[in-house]
Amino acid sequence: MSQETREAILLRPKLSRTEQGARFFFLACAFVALGQMVLIMLFLLGEAGGLFKTANFFDFLFSTEWYPTYEPPEFGAAALIVGSLAVTFFSSLLAAPIGLGLAVFLACLAGKSREWIKPAVELMAGVPSVVLGFLGLVVLAPFMVDVLGLPTGLNVLNASLILALMAIPSIASLGEDALSATPRQIQDASYALGATRWETIWRVTMPASMSGLSTAVILGLGRALGETLVVLMVAGGAAQIPGSLFDSVRPLTATLAAEMGETAIGSPHYHALFALGVVLFFLTLGFNLLAHYLGQKWRSR
Amino acid sequence: MFLSGYTQKDREFRQKLAIGAIRLVAGGFLAVLAILVIYLAYQGLGAISWEFLSQFPRDSMTAGGIWPAILGTFWLAVGAMVVAIPLGFGTAIYLAEYARPGPLLTAIRLGVNNLAGVPSVVFGLYGLAIFVGFLGFGRSLLSGALTLGVLTLPTVTAAAEEALRQTPASFREAALALGANRWQAIRQVILPAALPGMLTGAILALGRAAGETAPIIFTASAALTLSAPESAFSEVMALPTHIFNLATNGTHIAATRPQQFGTCLTLIVLVLGLSLIAIITRARLRKGKKW
Amino acid sequence: MVDEGPIISVKNVDFYYGSFQALKNISLDMRAKEVTALIGPSGCGKSTFLKLLNRMNDFVPGARLSGEILVSGQSIYGPDSDPVSIRRLVGMVFQRPNPFPKSIYDNICYGPRLVGTRKKADLDLVVEKALRAAALWDDVKDKLGKSALDLSGGQQQRVCIARALALSPEILLMDEPTSALDPIATAKVEEWIQESGMSIVIVTHNMQQAGRVSDHTAFFYMGELIEFGATMDIFTRPREERTENYITGRFG
Repeated sequence: MSQETREAILLRPKLSRTEQGARFFFLACAFVALGQMVLIMLFLLGEAGGLFKTANFFDFLFSTEWYPTYEPPEFGAAALIVGSLAVTFFSSLLAAPIGLGLAVFLACLAGKSREWIKPAVELMAGVPSVVLGFLGLVVLAPFMVDVLGLPTGLNVLNASLILALMAIPSIASLGEDALSATPRQIQDASYALGATRWETIWRVTMPASMSGLSTAVILGLGRALGETLVVLMVAGGAAQIPGSLFDSVRPLTATLAAEMGETAIGSPHYHALFALGVVLFFLTLGFNLLAHYLGQKWRSR
Repeated sequence: MFLSGYTQKDREFRQKLAIGAIRLVAGGFLAVLAILVIYLAYQGLGAISWEFLSQFPRDSMTAGGIWPAILGTFWLAVGAMVVAIPLGFGTAIYLAEYARPGPLLTAIRLGVNNLAGVPSVVFGLYGLAIFVGFLGFGRSLLSGALTLGVLTLPTVTAAAEEALRQTPASFREAALALGANRWQAIRQVILPAALPGMLTGAILALGRAAGETAPIIFTASAALTLSAPESAFSEVMALPTHIFNLATNGTHIAATRPQQFGTCLTLIVLVLGLSLIAIITRARLRKGKKW
Repeated sequence: MVDEGPIISVKNVDFYYGSFQALKNISLDMRAKEVTALIGPSGCGKSTFLKLLNRMNDFVPGARLSGEILVSGQSIYGPDSDPVSIRRLVGMVFQRPNPFPKSIYDNICYGPRLVGTRKKADLDLVVEKALRAAALWDDVKDKLGKSALDLSGGQQQRVCIARALALSPEILLMDEPTSALDPIATAKVEEWIQESGMSIVIVTHNMQQAGRVSDHTAFFYMGELIEFGATMDIFTRPREERTENYITGRFG
């Protein structure tokens, strides 16, 4: 027997029929799962492509005129993209510090009460977004009109607050995991050098878990960017570049959810909505890759 | 000799300030949560009755109940799990037990991980294009369940793979050394040990599927149905879309306010109930494990 | 007396993990019903060598072998060989006790059930025989339904031995079987090895243990078989300087 065949046998042990069947089945499952991602991209790109037979790519991306049902229709996505980025940005101003503060509280300060606070926070992360949007609609919006004297309570501020409410639990939960994973020894070393509890948290624990903390924040923001129901219900729905926190906006996700139900499959409007889907897909993909990259970068230090 | 300009007092003051601020933020946030929960419970309980849970809507939805929406959400979630559990568990078993490092593994991992970050409304577009349009299932329970199944697939897969990886390598070695083939080792030793953890992940995903709105708005949901879903090709009502419709699209937005609160509370109890079951089981499992 | 020939015969084996050569041109014969100890410093290839004997290295990506290994005269890397049946013939006990999270009874029955033994009476018999052979019967006969994980470490390891014995293997491989056990449990396992009358290949870090339990000893160093001979000879008058250095504790 040649050496080559012997090696082949060692690497590919003889398999029984059930063994081969099982292996094939699981591989097929994995392929179907991978196929979903591929299909999503193909369908999004394919259906979006139909738009650019009639419209100009540059206009689509940079025009702020979104009049999909006019004659002739105009499909400018700039205002919608800015709307998405605006609510995400302003929600992050609130969600990042509060989420991280809650994470530090849970990991370093809560002590025994962590055992029930952490599950409560995780439960909160599971509240359906339609319920949060509903609260923004029936509680926050009337409050803004009554107390701040605004013409409408459905605006950037309202959407940002509710999105922050949604993002904080997931930032806190992921951040707490990262902080808790800091090796006990380096914290002990800090205490042994005469550091206070706060100095240890601020100078040792947080820097050591910077990778996980930044990933937590970015993933939280990615969720806010892709969130649909909250902005659909409380952002106001006006396709314009906002001039202030009290202006209404129409984020990408809200546009999709509001208009997709009422377009004929195959119409220019239908293709335009898929083009918005492509933009949204790549924006969130960017956030996820950034989170991944930050995680890697800090880890390698 | 002084090594630094900070006095002990400065440092203690700083610590008090910082830790105080964090406690305040955490406490404040938890208080806001508690107030919201109490508010929803108070408003919702007023609307919930046996009639509310068991009857169809009447009088332009200003009276009657939400039974068809409960039923629709139940079937959508069950259907999603029928898709996601076999596929997700299968993928997880492949990733944890069979896959060798290489381009194929990288591709599958990349695909599944990125699937987890895709916004739910994009899944809705996908479902509309492929299930409703391309495959011709129309706007139906089937299309909605398939869409939700794909949406929860990454969650189910990740949790199942994690559970499989936590079973000690020694179980696998021992079974193989006793002459089991790979599939026998998986079926008889690894799966029984990992299954509780895998199912916990699936329950969490089930809760998520039940609460999703955007993916089913244009793949499955009807504003009102007058009968329970008859087949997989029926349009269905669902709790999340019912809230959305009543609160934004209806003709009697103010008059149906109690129904809106009642539906919110029902949905929350359902979703959080499922999560709570999963979290408690997970904690129990972790304590009970000896390996 | 008829010489049956070696039960394990290894001829010119080279073994690689990817581009790393873990074993270099190993040849040796082991006799039936004897205990052969494999000794040497960490990373010398002795555990790798042990796992070659029941093809447990098949699962390592990039593993490659040349040469030939015969068990009872049959080539286990030959074209007709099936790793699954080889492992039924060549049992293995691992470094750390690794009972399944099942009852003691189900642990022992695992192998027999794989080969299709289903009758309760047969299984009962196998379990008792295996547990007696592993000197554990008297300790556990009243709690066969209890989880094997509830036993002490030493008892767990003997459950693992019994589990391997339940398949009536011709050879038993033991990979540092006592390194996770306390001295009393270690003594029990060693006693079992000496009295078993089986063909056993044991990897050990512990010189005294090799001296106590084995008939032959093989000394590995940097992937090479430096010296192989009767344990008595290896320990009292080694031919190689490296063997002597290792045994007297000058390195390793």
